[in-house]
Amino acid sequence: MSYYAKLLIAAVGVAQLVAACPADAADVYPNRPVEFIVPWGAGGGSDQTARELSKLLQAELKVSFPVVNVPGGTGNAGMVKMLSGPSDGYSISLLAWDTFALLASRPPKWKMSDFITLGIVIQLPSGFYVSQDSDYKSWADVEKAAKANPDGLKVAISGFGSPDDLTIHQLAKQGIVLKAVPYAEPGERYSSLLGHHVDLLYSPIGNIGSFVSGQQMRPILFFSDEPIKGFEDVPTAKQSGHDISLPQRRAVIVKADTPPAQVKVLSDAIAAVVAKPEYAEFLKQELASPASYVPTEAAASLMESDLAAMKNMAAGK
Amino acid sequence: METLHLLSQGMIHIIADGYLTMLVIGLIVGMAVSVMPGLGIVMGIVLALPFTYSMAVEPSIIMLTAIYMSGTYAGCFTAILYRIPGEPNDIPMLWDGYNMSRNGQTAEALGWALISAFIGGIVSTAFMVGLAIPLGKLALQFSTADYFAAVFLGLTSVVSLAGASIVNAFIGLFIGLLISTVGVDSIYGSERFTFDSPILVNGIPYITVLVGMYGFGEVLTRIGRKPINFSKVGEPIRTNTAFPSLKQIWDIRETLLRSTVLGTLLGIVPGAGATVTSFIAYGIEKQYSKRRDLLGSGLPEGIVAPQIGSTASVAGHMVPLLTLGIPGSGATAIILAAFLLHGVQPGPLLLSTAQSKLTVYTIFASMFMAVVGMCLLSFLWIRVVVRVLSIPPAVLAAVVIMFSLLGTYANRNSISDMMLIVVFGALGYAFEKFKFPISPLVLGVVLGPLAESSFMQTMISHDNDFTAFFNGPIRGTFMALSLAALLFPVVRNSLSRRKSSMSQTVSD
Repeated sequence: MSYYAKLLIAAVGVAQLVAACPADAADVYPNRPVEFIVPWGAGGGSDQTARELSKLLQAELKVSFPVVNVPGGTGNAGMVKMLSGPSDGYSISLLAWDTFALLASRPPKWKMSDFITLGIVIQLPSGFYVSQDSDYKSWADVEKAAKANPDGLKVAISGFGSPDDLTIHQLAKQGIVLKAVPYAEPGERYSSLLGHHVDLLYSPIGNIGSFVSGQQMRPILFFSDEPIKGFEDVPTAKQSGHDISLPQRRAVIVKADTPPAQVKVLSDAIAAVVAKPEYAEFLKQELASPASYVPTEAAASLMESDLAAMKNMAAGK
Repeated sequence: METLHLLSQGMIHIIADGYLTMLVIGLIVGMAVSVMPGLGIVMGIVLALPFTYSMAVEPSIIMLTAIYMSGTYAGCFTAILYRIPGEPNDIPMLWDGYNMSRNGQTAEALGWALISAFIGGIVSTAFMVGLAIPLGKLALQFSTADYFAAVFLGLTSVVSLAGASIVNAFIGLFIGLLISTVGVDSIYGSERFTFDSPILVNGIPYITVLVGMYGFGEVLTRIGRKPINFSKVGEPIRTNTAFPSLKQIWDIRETLLRSTVLGTLLGIVPGAGATVTSFIAYGIEKQYSKRRDLLGSGLPEGIVAPQIGSTASVAGHMVPLLTLGIPGSGATAIILAAFLLHGVQPGPLLLSTAQSKLTVYTIFASMFMAVVGMCLLSFLWIRVVVRVLSIPPAVLAAVVIMFSLLGTYANRNSISDMMLIVVFGALGYAFEKFKFPISPLVLGVVLGPLAESSFMQTMISHDNDFTAFFNGPIRGTFMALSLAALLFPVVRNSLSRRKSSMSQTVSD
């Protein structure tokens, strides 16, 4: 066989190999792992939500969604990491309302138009808790004590500028002045209440479930429109005359200039996985509202109104 | 009695159900991550977490706890052998541990470390398990003011790290504290010393400084000292571990007692962790040990105190987690997450039913087995680690640099942290070159954020009242010890000066 004949056979072989590769592999999105940024440490509420979604999304889209923890600066570090990366749809991030509230209290370097919300995936009502043996039996007791001794009652919050802080600030405007003490670590926040170093704890319900069922803490007020299932005897803020409701929400977001087709694949996949019974079970375990999911367009308008409310609350700080 | 019964049941459970495999895997993983500079215990547990998704809750927790336990120990090998601490809590090992090794007593140094890890682990676990409920409650008594006082005591241990010049030590400490303030502050969220740079805005994590100055810096120093080559230079070490005799152990019984009590008690302080405990244990030894003047030149006490402190803190953190559901350290926060991922909520409820009580005591039992297993495994492990000494230094240098960069990247998935490693490596080289102590700076970077947040929380909570740091039994004790640590050298110096001036007057 001549040299050219060999070359020809080789060329045909190569061509066949190329043709054998699925032609669509390069076009179909996603065809490689999608990084799932969590701007908080491993083990927290955001991390748990992301890991649950990552597991379900992997089954749905047949690529893995590795969770990458980028903690720091109230979620700012993770936001900056995602927004400074390429907008090819291979990097998504979880946005917690603690980070979102930064837009109202101290404007960060990013803005709302920098990202697209693929969906709000979890909503947890927040509330005030006292330790089981506290002298304050109800919200009415707290209100009375706070009015008699303004700035005398201590409440543990996650940090200044957070939704927790905005709520305390709004209450102060309504005549109930509490002293907010920031504890960034959830563990320290809970032990500060159990050790009686603070009088109250402000927290989304998710992480508190075990302390409540273990009879270490009691909820005394929920910032929600409706009473919480299982805690029907705990008043809502509305019932107590405070029109405040800033639930802890968490959304999945992607960079704003990601191609629309990819945004659609991702948001459809999220819509599909949150409808699964496993996810419903996860929400139940976290004591989240069963109707937590809000799709893209509705999420955008809800975020606008939340932001307006938070800006309003932050005013005069 | 009931405790013993439950523990033995738990132990049978571990052996019968084959959880021993998970225990051993955990121990090996913990040893592996803790000898690699940059890859920390917390990172090891995070990396292992996804593998537990498909397991039952008990083997998962057993494996993660084993990583935690052996992670507080194995990092001392690299500190003793190469002067590169595997974990921040191994920094105190650099002084007496490395010096013993340089004096030709490598095997003895490793033996002391092993004995200390064993005693610290067993005694504190026994103590914590026996008194789990009351001690768990004690953890809640610690307020932010007590916590600040404990961290402050840790910071005053700089006096004992001073070496030649106490002024240089304080300069280093303050530079370290300054570095720790870079980035967004944790209380008010203001940007400090960021100069609008995206690298600095997210802060400088202490692991970057630690790995940069010790790991990367050590390699640079060695290259600077003499041309690095590919031929073998390490002398073969015959005995791998030499155990101290019972008499030698008895001779330092006071150190053993002090460090074990300190490690266990500081362990239950939420947030303190192995690093704070290890530094305080060494600092206390420098103050109160009989041979304090020789400490730092290669004494067993200088190995025993920090190692016992580190290992004892594990039990101190696990017990509040299991009895109250409160994670006191980064490692226990992730172990808590592993519980939650399996739908189990640690806390008082866990002790309320017979079935879940057995789960808790199975984990307690696994902690005893982890301590024993860790010491047995380290025999084999030391053989491997010691063999590394005969690797050509050029290759070893490349490997250390690779792990330094990889480990730091894994910490926050950030490329800019890898650039910072190089910067701090150069700084570490410069410090070494001009005989400026590195450890005070690293101490400042590690403890700075803890000191700041607990100080600010106390100030906010007590209307800026300074007396809040002194007016309680726990904080009062820590503060008194701190002041003693700070004033001691001053008093000693002035005393010796007076003595010498008096003798001068006599001779005049």
